[in-house]
Formats: sequence, structure tokens, C-alpha cells
Amino acid sequence: MSQFNGAAAAPGRRTDPFLLLAVPALCLLGMLFVLPIVFLLVKSFRDTTGNLSIATYVAFFSDPFMLTALRRTIVVAIETTLLTLLLGYPTAFALARARGFTQTIILIAMILPLSVGVIVKAFAWSIVFRTDGVINKTLLGLGIIDQPLRLLFTETALVIGATNIFLPFMVLPIYAVIRQTDPNLRSAAATLGAGPLFCFFRVTLPLTLPGIVAGAAFVFSMAVAMYVIPNLIIGERTQTLSMLIARSFLYLRNEQMGSTISTILLAIAAFIVIVSSVILKRLSGRQA
Amino acid sequence: MYLDVKGIIKSYRDNTVLDGLDFSVARGELVSLLGPSGCGKTTLLRMIAGLVTADHGTIRLAERDVTGLPAHKRNVSVVFQNYALFPHLNVSENVGFGLAARGVSKAEQRTPVEEALALVRMEQFADRPISALSGGQQQRVAVARALVVAPDLLLLDEPFSALDRKLRETMQVELKALLRSRGITAVFVTHDQEEALAVSDRIAVMNRGRIEQYGGPMELYSRPATSFVLDFVGMSTRIAGTVKKVEGRSLLISTAYGEVTAPGNFIQGAKVLLGVRPEHLDPVPGAAGSNSITVALSDVMCLGAKTLVHATASGADRIICEQSGAAQQGLPSTGEPVTLSWNVEQTLVYPAEGVQ
Repeated sequence: MSQFNGAAAAPGRRTDPFLLLAVPALCLLGMLFVLPIVFLLVKSFRDTTGNLSIATYVAFFSDPFMLTALRRTIVVAIETTLLTLLLGYPTAFALARARGFTQTIILIAMILPLSVGVIVKAFAWSIVFRTDGVINKTLLGLGIIDQPLRLLFTETALVIGATNIFLPFMVLPIYAVIRQTDPNLRSAAATLGAGPLFCFFRVTLPLTLPGIVAGAAFVFSMAVAMYVIPNLIIGERTQTLSMLIARSFLYLRNEQMGSTISTILLAIAAFIVIVSSVILKRLSGRQA
Repeated sequence: MYLDVKGIIKSYRDNTVLDGLDFSVARGELVSLLGPSGCGKTTLLRMIAGLVTADHGTIRLAERDVTGLPAHKRNVSVVFQNYALFPHLNVSENVGFGLAARGVSKAEQRTPVEEALALVRMEQFADRPISALSGGQQQRVAVARALVVAPDLLLLDEPFSALDRKLRETMQVELKALLRSRGITAVFVTHDQEEALAVSDRIAVMNRGRIEQYGGPMELYSRPATSFVLDFVGMSTRIAGTVKKVEGRSLLISTAYGEVTAPGNFIQGAKVLLGVRPEHLDPVPGAAGSNSITVALSDVMCLGAKTLVHATASGADRIICEQSGAAQQGLPSTGEPVTLSWNVEQTLVYPAEGVQ
């Protein structure tokens, strides 16, 4: 009897054949992404003789230089995320509000830079920020400053450069959410007596929060792992985690340390992605 | 008047949406703006709510000029066509929104919110999310949300269009009774003439950014001011003709079905449109003082309490006769010739379309 019941329940649990469509992509991800990460994880716990060891983890967390780099990496990623949000949120509204030609122009302005390599953009920024770059020449020419400002090798320059490059990843998810929200909701709030500020904090912001969370997760996880941009903008003098990884693998030939830092970086990014998807689920659960 | 809209002009680029429109509503009155899509009725509603600005003209509400006032300072509530309930708030939070916007604390919101929900019989749904409600329940919540702030004026934009026919009729009766009992002044926007006739004291029939006629349901039906109102409100026989002879107030008009007589003020040779309401037509030869035409029946439709008889007409003309009660028996069948007659006094005459 119980067997019979089990058989009757089976059709409900049958896999959706459409899931098979994702198999090729999953295979590719599995081979080129998951496997290397597993290797990396294993490697981070093995010393040169192949014995199990957590020496590099201990070394990492007791080395002030490493910890400074960790702190800097996280601070830069947070600042970049906040700045992209500050600039991207209004842009997303402008994009959603614009019609026809104007909208196309803004969309192209958002998407086209993605097809220009990161190196080209980061290099362009390094030209702008140089001591004899556009900014300094303009400020000197206008007499606002006497001495050229040191911009290029600063964290500020890094945050500004990274913001420029990651902006579309903040704007597009927010824009997608705004497009789905009913413009009548803001009208309804106004007719119920809500002024612009009340309307923003009680209606617009909560409704666009899923877009903000998704955009912030994108930008943070990319900013925490960026390598080319800091390399070109702040150079070797101030290090971030990804630059330390490259240094460990390429110059110091310390594969265990390189794998260790990679694992730590991955853990940070994974934490952010998991937290944000939990938040997103909560938010959509409230509205579903 | 309680609501006074004067000389409103509104254009978008070259498109004039409202063209020097005047409109007024007395306190406690239920009024409908009725018209086809694109006639400007929704723009007028949004303008009264403060969501759209006028190029010219003034709007006065409850003794004050609100023309330049933004929506959130007007105290005019709106029930939107799609209800526009906040998806991130539950039922009682939605209803309490207007109070919260007015600075009423959470604790002080409770009683009025509960009362408003009781008014629309939704008390037991207070903690539900909006997505768990049916269309009719969402409408009730939208009405409660609009009424809880004690608005000076309630505007409703096609409030019944998302409901199925049966529910729509129930909600119309219910909402009308509720607004009456609370003494609410309300303006409905609708393209559905039956809805307008059902819910309102007066109806403003709109066409091309103007009000063609503003009056009670009976007045609109029996004395349509223009051929547009004749066509838009209720069914009618419409026959094109030319004035052949004028004798005082009596016109002799030649049509594709013979000559007919009608009361009116037109010059000889004027192109006119004749209108007769279907229940005024009789499928029997008329006596003296009647017009008679003989046409072929094209369709006989029995609708239960009444039967509609359509006749073959030429050009843009339409001939339709309505019989009810015992007269529904023994009607000629489709294809047979029939003589239709009506009282001369029941003939409405309008200038033909395009000729003023």
C-alpha cells in the first residue's frame, strides 16, 4: 500500500524537462569554474611537501601588511558600491523616465562602455589622473591650485575609476525594477497626501530595494575582486587582495599563499552574494 | 458650486486634449464623465486630482482655488483603474497610508482604518498581503484607502472595468449606497454608458475635449443635445436626410425611405440626421401625426424582457425597433418587409455630421 502511494506521488516530483536546457551551461561552469575553485581550496591547505597545513591562513591573519590590504580591499569595494549607488540610482530613474531617442542614447551610454575593455578604461583614467593629466592641468590653468594634486596613486582615484567602470551594473538592475513598478503607485501616494519625501521613503525606495540589493551585490563582488583597475590606477605601491594573489602566484611562486588569499576573497564575495539573495528573497516574499 | 472647473485648456504638442472645458459638481453629488477613449475624461480627472497641470483655466474646490496646488495638498482621493494598491504593504497598511502621510501615529490610525475596512466589509482581511486578494476585494481596499482620509472629493477612474459583469453590478450598487450614506461628492470616469446611468445623478458626456451635454440620465436619453450624445447614450435609429420644406417649426425631410415630418429649426436644403429611440418605433402602419417607413427586417433578437428588431438600412443609417411585453409575440420574421411608424413629436433632428 505504501509502495502504491509512493508511486502515485512520483509524477509530482518528476523533473521539469526544461531544466535539461541548462545542462550544457552547467557543465561548462562545472568544468571551468567549480573544479578550479575546488583545486584552489585544496591547494590552500597544502604546503610545498603536500602535507595538510593552515600555515598560510595563520600567516595571512597575523601579517599587518596583509590585513591592511584586506581592510583596504573591503573599504574600496564598499565605497565603490556606495558611489555607484549614489550616481546610479538617479540615472536609473532618468533612464526609466526617458522616451524614444533619449532613452536609447542613455542605454547605449550605459552598455557600450562594457564592450570597451577594462584595460582601456583604466588606462584612460590613469591619463586623466596623472600629475600632468587633464584634471591637474585644468585646475592649475584656472588658478584653483598652485601645485599639481597627487591623484593617480590614491584610493580616491581608485574608487572613482572603479565607479565609472561598474556603474552600468548598478543602473541596469535598478532600471529593470523601476520599469516593472506601476507609475500609478506614486500618483496614488500623492493623492493620499504624501509629499515628495514621504512618497520616496515609503513607496519608491521600498519598491526599488530589490534592484538596489541586486546592483550592490554585483558591484561589490566585482569591486572586491578587481585586479586590472587598481593595478593601473594605484600601482604596486598600495596593494589589494587580488594584486596580492597575482604577486603570490607570479612573482613569489607561493602557490599556497596565493590559493589562501583567493579562498578568502572568494569567501567574502560568496558571503555578499548569499546575504543579498536572502534579502531579495525576503523582499519578493513580502510582495508575492 | 462645490467643484468648479472653468475654461480648462490642455494640449500635448499639437494635440488639444481639453478644449475650453467647463464642469461643475454640487456637494454630495455623484457625477460621471462619460465618453469614448481619447475624449479627455481621464486627463480631466487627473487634473482635478492635481496629477496633471492645466495650460489655462481654473479649478475651485470647496471654496478654495486649487489650480496651482500639487496633488498631495488638495485632499482629493482617487480610486485608480488598476487600484494602485501598494504591493509592499498589507491591507491595513494600505488603508492607513493616507493617515500616515498626514502624520497620524500608528496607534491613532487603528480605529479609523478598522472603521474604513468595516465600511467595505474587509475587516477580516486587515493583515493579508495585497497579492492574496481578488479583484473585487482589491477594489474594496482601494475605496477604503481613499475614504479613510475624509477627502473633499472622491475621483474614480473606470473603477469597475477590471471586474466581471456580475461582480461589477453588485459593486456598483454597493458603492453608490456607501457614497450616498457618507455624503461623499464623487466623480466617476467611464466609457460604459450603463455604468454611468447606474451610478450617477448627472452625467457629463465628453467628446473631443469638450462636454457635449451635462444632465440627468433621463434627460440625456430622451433629449440628447447632439447627435454624438444620441449615438453614445442608448441605442437609436439614425437616418440621414435633407430638409425639403419648412412650415413654421415643422420640417418635411426626404430620406432614403420616403418623406418624414419632424419638429425643428432648419433652413430648406439643410443636411440633417434624424434620430428615434427604439422603443418609440412600432411595427404597425401609423395613424395621423405619425411617420411611417417600410423596410426589410434583417434580424430579430430576443433578449428576454425585450426583443430588438433590426432593419436593413442604407449607408451609415441604422434602423432599430424595440418591443417589450406582449408586443414581442407575432413579430414578422427576418427578410420580410415591415412598416415601422413613430410619433412625429418623438423625432429628433440634428445637423448632419461635419455641417454645423
